[in-house]
Amino acid sequence: MMALRAVHAAAVLAIAASWASAQTTEEAASRAYRDDVHAAAGLRCAACHQESRSTYAIARTAVAPLCAKCHSDAAYMKAFDPQVRVDPYAQYLTSTHGRQMAKGETRVATCSDCHGAHGVRKVADSRSPVAPVSVALTCERCHADPARMGAFGKEATPFKDWSESVHAAALLERGDLSAPTCSTCHGSHGAAPPGVTEVANVCAHCHVREAELFRASPKKAIFEQIGQAECLACHGSHRIEQPADAWAGLTEPAVCAACHDSTTRGADTIVRIRNGLDRLAAAIAGGEAVLARAERAGMLVDDGRAASREAREHQIHARVLVHAFALQPFQDMTDQGMRAARQSQAAGERALHDLQVRRRGLLAATILIVGFLVTLWFKIRRLGPRGDQL
Amino acid sequence: MRVARVQAWLGERVPIAPLIEALRHKRVPQHRYSVWYYFGGITLFLFVVQVVTGGLLLLYYRPSAGEAYESVQFLMTRVQFGWLVRSIHAWSANLMVASAFGHLFSVLFLHGYRRPREVTWVSGAFLLFLVLAFGFTGYLLPWNQLSFFATSVGTDMAGTIPWIGHFIVRFLRGGDTVTGATLTRLFGVHVAILPAIATALVCLHLFLVQQHGMSVPPSIEEESRRSERPVATVPFFPDFALRDLFAWTVALAVLAALAAFYPWELGLKADPFAAAPAGIRPEWYFLWEFQTLKYVPASAFGINGELLVVGALGIGAALLLALPFLVPDRPSTRRALAWIAAAALAYMILLTALALRGSGGPIP
Repeated sequence: MMALRAVHAAAVLAIAASWASAQTTEEAASRAYRDDVHAAAGLRCAACHQESRSTYAIARTAVAPLCAKCHSDAAYMKAFDPQVRVDPYAQYLTSTHGRQMAKGETRVATCSDCHGAHGVRKVADSRSPVAPVSVALTCERCHADPARMGAFGKEATPFKDWSESVHAAALLERGDLSAPTCSTCHGSHGAAPPGVTEVANVCAHCHVREAELFRASPKKAIFEQIGQAECLACHGSHRIEQPADAWAGLTEPAVCAACHDSTTRGADTIVRIRNGLDRLAAAIAGGEAVLARAERAGMLVDDGRAASREAREHQIHARVLVHAFALQPFQDMTDQGMRAARQSQAAGERALHDLQVRRRGLLAATILIVGFLVTLWFKIRRLGPRGDQL
Repeated sequence: MRVARVQAWLGERVPIAPLIEALRHKRVPQHRYSVWYYFGGITLFLFVVQVVTGGLLLLYYRPSAGEAYESVQFLMTRVQFGWLVRSIHAWSANLMVASAFGHLFSVLFLHGYRRPREVTWVSGAFLLFLVLAFGFTGYLLPWNQLSFFATSVGTDMAGTIPWIGHFIVRFLRGGDTVTGATLTRLFGVHVAILPAIATALVCLHLFLVQQHGMSVPPSIEEESRRSERPVATVPFFPDFALRDLFAWTVALAVLAALAAFYPWELGLKADPFAAAPAGIRPEWYFLWEFQTLKYVPASAFGINGELLVVGALGIGAALLLALPFLVPDRPSTRRALAWIAAAALAYMILLTALALRGSGGPIP
């Protein structure tokens, strides 16, 4: 979170100035406009503001149509950027924001609320409030306000939940710009909450293999029958946590326990999957502990490390295969993982054995060398201090 | 009867009898500083260890950026006793540097460079520089991260030399930066050029030592003169040879213990595109020079600081080589030289200790 705040600080300051300038003086607006992408393209105030009118202010309901005049005109926009999208307004009209605005509800977001009014920057510019690392905080301005969201019957928790998720950690701590933020799942201009049936498509955009396995599994039909959202049922929505092996099982904190107990169908499969995951994790940890001991003793265990990495890869695959809700492919994968883990442990034990052999060898060599030194010493002593004269 | 015939047959074809006869009658001075004579023998012993283990390493080592690291890794993990051979080679190199420095300073303090041993001194000083060159060229060969960046920093230093610096850097690296070409180049120098020169110099050095005999320190000569008693001697064989053998065996024991208990690490493979790892530094015997670089300002008296250090080191090396021809053999100059040598040794030890403690920030 601290990282997010820090990265966003500059963008917030810029957008605050831009928003403020939209509502204050002509001078402030002019100042902010100097660093605006439109100013760089050679557009003047009159491009948006009609000078004949008594006020420069633009009604909130008129902002999006005004922007669309240019941004929906492919022929016009091509002159500035041949690859620029010209569907933002069409998208906006399909969004919750756009539909509400069309009804005259001016508390919802329009273009300038996210992009700014007089200090607009390209999305690729890290100072832009809609740059990947900043867009969540831009959404937060409204969506974390209980009073504002309460008026629409919405909760104000999504931002807080997302900021504690693995996705936020990937984006803000590891700097992975491909990690999902608000607009990745909800869309940007066409922002809308995905429905129960569509949410899996959103997740599947990145989690391809998991989605594929789930859709081929018997769970797919069952979830459809009971109206359960596919991924959300176990993983939640905004606060996506790091999954754990303990999520499989029939007792807390297993997510399966929400629907299954020992009497329900599939209980045996769930227990065996959990046991498989635990066995593999224990085998990998055991192998790595032996390897670490050998390494601390100065032994090279690259073979063991390679086997351990292989076991971890199988572990990842096995965890993914949980989404197939079938025992056989999972067991095949854990068996391969167990074999690799045993190889890593064996490599570590071999290294420790070699270490013992080396130490015994050194002890024997030391005894021989010391014996030789003692013999030499006595021989030299027997020669005596032969201080013969020249 | 049969043994005598074999000896006679061999003696006729390999006439070493005069040499054996000379050794039989050769005598070595025996006094309270005699223990310092053994440093030369230990250095020679470690040089032989280097040649033998280096030859074994050559059986598996592949001198290219793509294969060097992997070949050393293979040697250490797959080849029987490969780890031991590499570990002995690396430890022996370090012990040889320490022993060569010990030999140099002992000769300096005991004033063994005096007439007629000037050429012996010069050949010995050249051998010390060669030992350091062996260390520098061998350091990069495993192609790990530490050695890659240390070599980069080390070769950079030559670039400060006016006019020819850039040429020297390019000559050492085989290009503008440290690459596989540098590795191949340093490998050739390490296993062919330096050994050839070193072997010739060792032979010359040993020949001169045998011809002139061991130098007797002036203080012992003075005592002998005052007491009117000749300096005591012992036969080279077996007395001195056995003591030499004793010293070699001690060196072997230390070497075996170090190699077995502290196997030389391989580290991570060099990645020219990675950022330089924290704490890169050269081998311990170059640390005092690098620590000096940290304390010298970027520019002094209008001259580049690095150039000042490189220049001072060059002058120091030249003075060391020419020492016997520069210092008159008088008690007062000998005393002064001993003090200068002690100060230089103290400086080197202090700066090395400071570098090991990490004082003065990163290597420039």
